[in-house]
Amino acid sequence: MAAERKVSQADWRKIFSLNGRVADDQQVLRPLLADWCANHGLEAALYAEDNGDYKLAVQSGERSFPDVLPASLPEGGDDQRLDLPSAVLLYSGAALDGEDSDLLLLAAGLRISNLKRQIQEQSFQAKFRGVELEGLYEVGLAIGSTLDIDELSEEVLLRAIALLDARLGALYLLEEDDVYHLQRSIGGQARETLAANEDGLDELLNGDGHGPKDLVADARYLLAVPVENDSQARGLLVVADKESRTGVGPFPVTDRRTLSLFANQAAIALENAKLHKLALEKERLEREMELAAEIQKRLLPKIMPEIPGFEVVGWNRPARQIGGDYFDLPGLGADHLGLVVGDVTGKGMPAALLVSTLHSALRVLLDRMEVGPELIERLNRHIYESSSSNKFITMLLATLDLHTNRLVYLNAGHNPGLLLRKNGESCQLASAGLPLGLLPQGQYGSAYLDLEEGDLVCLYSDGITECESPEEEEFGLERLIGLLEDHRESPLFEIIDAIDRITTDFAKGRPQGDDQTLILLRRTRAAA
Amino acid sequence: MTESLKLTVEDERDDLAVIHTDGYINNQGGEEIARVCYELIEKGHKKLLLNLSRTKIVNSIGISILIEIIEKMLEIEGKLAFCSLTPTIQKTFHIMGLAQYASIYPDQEEALKELSS
Repeated sequence: MAAERKVSQADWRKIFSLNGRVADDQQVLRPLLADWCANHGLEAALYAEDNGDYKLAVQSGERSFPDVLPASLPEGGDDQRLDLPSAVLLYSGAALDGEDSDLLLLAAGLRISNLKRQIQEQSFQAKFRGVELEGLYEVGLAIGSTLDIDELSEEVLLRAIALLDARLGALYLLEEDDVYHLQRSIGGQARETLAANEDGLDELLNGDGHGPKDLVADARYLLAVPVENDSQARGLLVVADKESRTGVGPFPVTDRRTLSLFANQAAIALENAKLHKLALEKERLEREMELAAEIQKRLLPKIMPEIPGFEVVGWNRPARQIGGDYFDLPGLGADHLGLVVGDVTGKGMPAALLVSTLHSALRVLLDRMEVGPELIERLNRHIYESSSSNKFITMLLATLDLHTNRLVYLNAGHNPGLLLRKNGESCQLASAGLPLGLLPQGQYGSAYLDLEEGDLVCLYSDGITECESPEEEEFGLERLIGLLEDHRESPLFEIIDAIDRITTDFAKGRPQGDDQTLILLRRTRAAA
Repeated sequence: MTESLKLTVEDERDDLAVIHTDGYINNQGGEEIARVCYELIEKGHKKLLLNLSRTKIVNSIGISILIEIIEKMLEIEGKLAFCSLTPTIQKTFHIMGLAQYASIYPDQEEALKELSS
């Protein structure tokens, strides 16, 4: 037998310096155990306690020992065990009569290394929880700083995958077709779509770890949580295959909670982005409406014509930002003035578009031909061709001969204009034809009135007479006529003010239901 | 299909080599990096620079492998350095303590300047 070799002071130093690395354990402990075995004429393996099991840590010689210490040794075998603190020596050869200090030192070395390993592992995990918290915090910040849904999806996915040690992950968004559409995947391929009612989806969300077939290419374990706003499904956050140094495995229960935290952040981000998009859209529409209103305002005369012997003024108040009423006071040559009041069915943008059509067509026609039935017929055809079937225009067109004081008018389905004579008589400029754009062929008749000094003409749209009180009573023609009679002698702008004020008072805060338009014309003195 | 990490080694001069990573540093990616690093160490390289400009994501397994490589480099009295990290990865490396044992440079130019001196 070889001379007994005792563990030296240098060996003690090495043992106390063991740092948890398995390779170092082997390097330091294996030769010491081999010497000890040689001294005792044994072959042996040291098993270290690890989570209730004893795992093979170091052995002498070449014979093979089981990786994990069996709970009981086979009957009649040569192997015997010697229990040490946190370790077991499995040996074959002459029976030992007890432990010795060298053996205890080897066991202590294993224990030191194991504890160091555990501390390192726990410290690593603790730090990684720090990374996790940081990740959630940063995702929250990212959500506050960008509304780009692609950017946010990537941010959420990158962090969720990294923190859960997933091999890959995917974010799906639920679209209106009730299908989840892949927004982004990282680390590998995932299916483009997933029906909301697909087999296996509910099971996946309930944590069965598998889910719809082929959702994620060659994934063995899945974890998915819903992305929800107010209990409304908005999407799906999926990760696949929890990694470890030895391969992939299922996700532990606590990972579901972590993934849900990321899903909640994603939900907030999605909601923010959606609201922002809506707000932008609204802003854009408002801007367009403002622009349209501006354009429409330019269609209306800004300056009222000044004509010797007459006063004339026009006024328009749309019910919304833009409207379907129209008036114009075009000069027609040196000795005629045109007066136009039009009303397109409906309100808002569609009506405003047709107002533009009316304006341009009428201007062109007035430039080229005499005011008369033929002009209205051509205008009717043009409006018919350029409007949808349920859109039409009522219009009253009149021309005033500044020499003869004759007012020729054509009324295409519009409210009858009013003439209040100075002598108290009154008459109406009644309709003689269908509204413009209703039928391709229309027949229109013209009529005329000769204006005397002090006569007042009022052309108006039904927004004035049909203005409603909170009790749903209409302002009505009688009130309008009464009002005009009361103010017969007043300057025209005062009459406009009065109509504005009195109809507003009548409505008592009830929102204006329709566009309101007026033209007032008064002959002030006898022709020169 | 799993997207695997792509590695390219460049700028091998004297004892310094630069390794560019492209993709996820996870178990598979980390092992690939370790394999390449150990090969370079075998060849006598003592300074390794990992350029992570094309890597956006590192998980804990990847980090533990990187720590092992750092330990190995310390053992042979070599040096492992990183450059071009995303802010997220940089923060992660700081929290996990990698920054204590490995230098982190904003870009490759700066790293090479420092490592060559």
